[in-house]
Amino acid sequence: MQVVRHVALSVFKESVRDRVLYSLVAFATLLIGASYLIGQLTAGQDVKIIKDLGLAAIAIFGLFIAVFIGIGLVWKEVERRSIYSLLSKPIRRHEFILGKYAGLALTLLVNVAMMTAAFYVVLAYMNTQASDALRAVWPAPAADPGMLRAVALIVLELLLVTAIALFFSTFSSPFLSAALTFGLWVAGHFNADLRNFEVVVESKTAAYLARGIYYVLPNFAAFDIKAQVVNALPVPPTYLLLAAAYALVYIALLLTGAVLVFSRRDFK
Amino acid sequence: MDAIRTEALTKHYRVGFWRPRPYVALDALTLEVRQGEVFGFLGPNGAGKTTTLKLLMQLIYPTSGRAEILGRPVGDVAVRRRIGYLPENPYFYDYLTAEELLDYFASLFGYAAAERRRRVASLLDEVGIGAERRLQLRKFSKGMLQRVGIAQAILNDPEVVFFDEPMSGLDPLGRREVRQLILRLRDRGGTVFFSSHVLSDAETLCSRVAILAEGRLVASGHLSNLLAFQVRGWELVVTGLTEAALERATTLGHIARATPLGAQHYALELPITVAPDGVLSELTACGARLVSLTPVRETLEDYFVRQVADAPRERGLGTGT
Amino acid sequence: MTRRAAVLLVLLLGSVLGLQAVHERRSGPPGGTAESLLYVRSPEAMKRMALSYHSLLADVYWIRAVQHYGGTRLSTDPTKQYDLLYPLLDITTSLDPHFRIAYLFGSVFLAEEPPGGPGRSDLAVALLQKGLRAQPDKWEYAQAIGFVHYWWDQDYMQAAAWFRRAAEMPNAPNWMAPLAAVTLAQGGNRASSRRLWQEVLNNAEADWLRVQARFRLRQLDAMDQITALEALIEEYARRVGTRPRTWADVVQAGFLPGVPLDPDRFPYQLDPASGAVTLDRKSTINPLPIESSRRR
Repeated sequence: MQVVRHVALSVFKESVRDRVLYSLVAFATLLIGASYLIGQLTAGQDVKIIKDLGLAAIAIFGLFIAVFIGIGLVWKEVERRSIYSLLSKPIRRHEFILGKYAGLALTLLVNVAMMTAAFYVVLAYMNTQASDALRAVWPAPAADPGMLRAVALIVLELLLVTAIALFFSTFSSPFLSAALTFGLWVAGHFNADLRNFEVVVESKTAAYLARGIYYVLPNFAAFDIKAQVVNALPVPPTYLLLAAAYALVYIALLLTGAVLVFSRRDFK
Repeated sequence: MDAIRTEALTKHYRVGFWRPRPYVALDALTLEVRQGEVFGFLGPNGAGKTTTLKLLMQLIYPTSGRAEILGRPVGDVAVRRRIGYLPENPYFYDYLTAEELLDYFASLFGYAAAERRRRVASLLDEVGIGAERRLQLRKFSKGMLQRVGIAQAILNDPEVVFFDEPMSGLDPLGRREVRQLILRLRDRGGTVFFSSHVLSDAETLCSRVAILAEGRLVASGHLSNLLAFQVRGWELVVTGLTEAALERATTLGHIARATPLGAQHYALELPITVAPDGVLSELTACGARLVSLTPVRETLEDYFVRQVADAPRERGLGTGT
Repeated sequence: MTRRAAVLLVLLLGSVLGLQAVHERRSGPPGGTAESLLYVRSPEAMKRMALSYHSLLADVYWIRAVQHYGGTRLSTDPTKQYDLLYPLLDITTSLDPHFRIAYLFGSVFLAEEPPGGPGRSDLAVALLQKGLRAQPDKWEYAQAIGFVHYWWDQDYMQAAAWFRRAAEMPNAPNWMAPLAAVTLAQGGNRASSRRLWQEVLNNAEADWLRVQARFRLRQLDAMDQITALEALIEEYARRVGTRPRTWADVVQAGFLPGVPLDPDRFPYQLDPASGAVTLDRKSTINPLPIESSRRR
């Protein structure tokens, strides 16, 4: 456990040095710039748009960090042979994988936490700019803590994406890993269509196959409650719990796979 | 108990994507290295030295055979606490400093923070890295990285140290420092197993060597034993040698080649078939004076060349394609 | 060398800006303006392509709808049409079926009479009913439907029915039930109109809506004043025997302290022949709405 922690901390340190946190500057600039522009562009109701934009930006920035660091995590160590000296230390290969994963998860958590903080600051400022009459008709307050539920699900989604990227990175090149990870991410959003595939195809086999794929593919659509929290619609706690359980089990599956592949690998 | 022991250690790779063919990287290597030895693992590039070291570090898995370090199978995490490894052309993390890298590796051994600080500071002193220790490693030269690599290999006061080409990337001063370091490790009772394709490294350091060519062990033992019977002549340096005396000795077949070094000053190569003392007395009778007499041994380089020439060309499994 | 490089950089940058200006003057790529194109007309396909970002994409379409409406409204082209407005609003509300403001403001845009809008009160009601299908107990949508019926269709029975439905929905404000009653009893009269606009003014969440409400209230003030002035003219004619030729006559006779000004501070116009009072043509509260009772 100690070893995993040390590997994780080194990943975190390296990604911070690798200017990953610069993305936060881009995020803050985007959000503040957009909140000004959107105020000019739309007939009022800019808070809803800022909320949509902020949550979407947190998800997208996180996605890119998860994929582009995730695919390089293991590959880079192997490619640059830094893994040679590392694995001669008292560390088991599964500890290495888990440490790498935990390190990127930590990087993502810190990133998302800081983006969320910037997001709430912008919203709190917009709140001070709004009239009482305007505030009265908002479905939810500007700096609505309820949005943290959407952020929590975004974090779960990102952790799942990271696990996918890490899994691919244990055996394939970064380019292929990125393509596969993004592919799964997109497919995971079309998931609902696969479930109802029998509506569009005649063949029973094809319908069963589609349904099978529907169950196997990561269902990313399940982690999207951005629209719900922005419009202050109810989200039952059981939904959140189920999504969390789904993410955690899926992550455990992918990490197990990654460890199995990685433990058998030759580092030529 | 041996420090290192391998039994018929074999590694095949599959090469080619569409029609993979096996390629024998290491063929049934059996080796024993005793504790307290400095053991040279020699061979030209591509002989299988790095493959062997990777097998011992369990970076790759053997096709067959077994290997033990300190009486335990390789890959045993308990063994890793007692060994150190310098990979060939080591590379580390771009964005960590030398200090941070060593601290990170030390933390994997479970050392407390104060202990880590102490070890890291003294190691960096030992390998000669000064103020640069606060620089990120991406700014390090190859030689500096080599020094960091050596430092991380001896971080835990290992009982057995594996160095893959420890001299590469170092200037002559650096090479001397590494030689001294290896001798210090030996004096502390450690075992040093190092690979090299540079012969002088081994000749000055090793008690025993193994010589590898094309994935096979071609010779092993004490360097002096391996090379002594390979004396193939003598080199005689004399001054005051007249042209006439030189010509007479040459026509008698006593001198294979004469290289003038100055006026009446020659380096003479005597064939193995003549007794050097006889030739010497013959020349001194003509007024020449002895400067030096040394046996000419086959160098490791010649040895490699000869072994490679003898070894079968095909390095596949011999099943044909 | 560095100076030459700097000069080169400045020259190249200048050329880029110049060419962009040429491009700008020729108004973009040939073959129609991008504004008038709607690449994807199917809201369902749009939703597919948005992955998990349909809410954000809805915002983009909402901004496009607002830009389209505002741009067309300001355009001086006599043949201008708001033909993309409904498709854009439809996509917006399909991508985010809970986009409250897209329904509320969108219906205002759609119902507005030409040239300020397409004058499609039917589409305005359709849009709001789509909103009610997504959230059946949103009193604001029901109220907005009532408003469209009241103001643009002058259908006071329908309007009153929708105001009553709104009043019965959760969280409806307490002025909703009286509004329904007033509309039913005296639909179309100025008192109920004034009440409606007063509520719009009190609850407006955007400046332009507040401006609109104030404008309508000023128009109602003017209409009240015109009615009072015309009554005064009739009184003058009855007492003096002839209609006044100018306001000066009325003032001299002591009926008025001075020339009457409309809420925009322009003097009212007096038609000596008919005794009708009208607004100055320069007054910004033109044109006054035509009241159903006054339609000729």
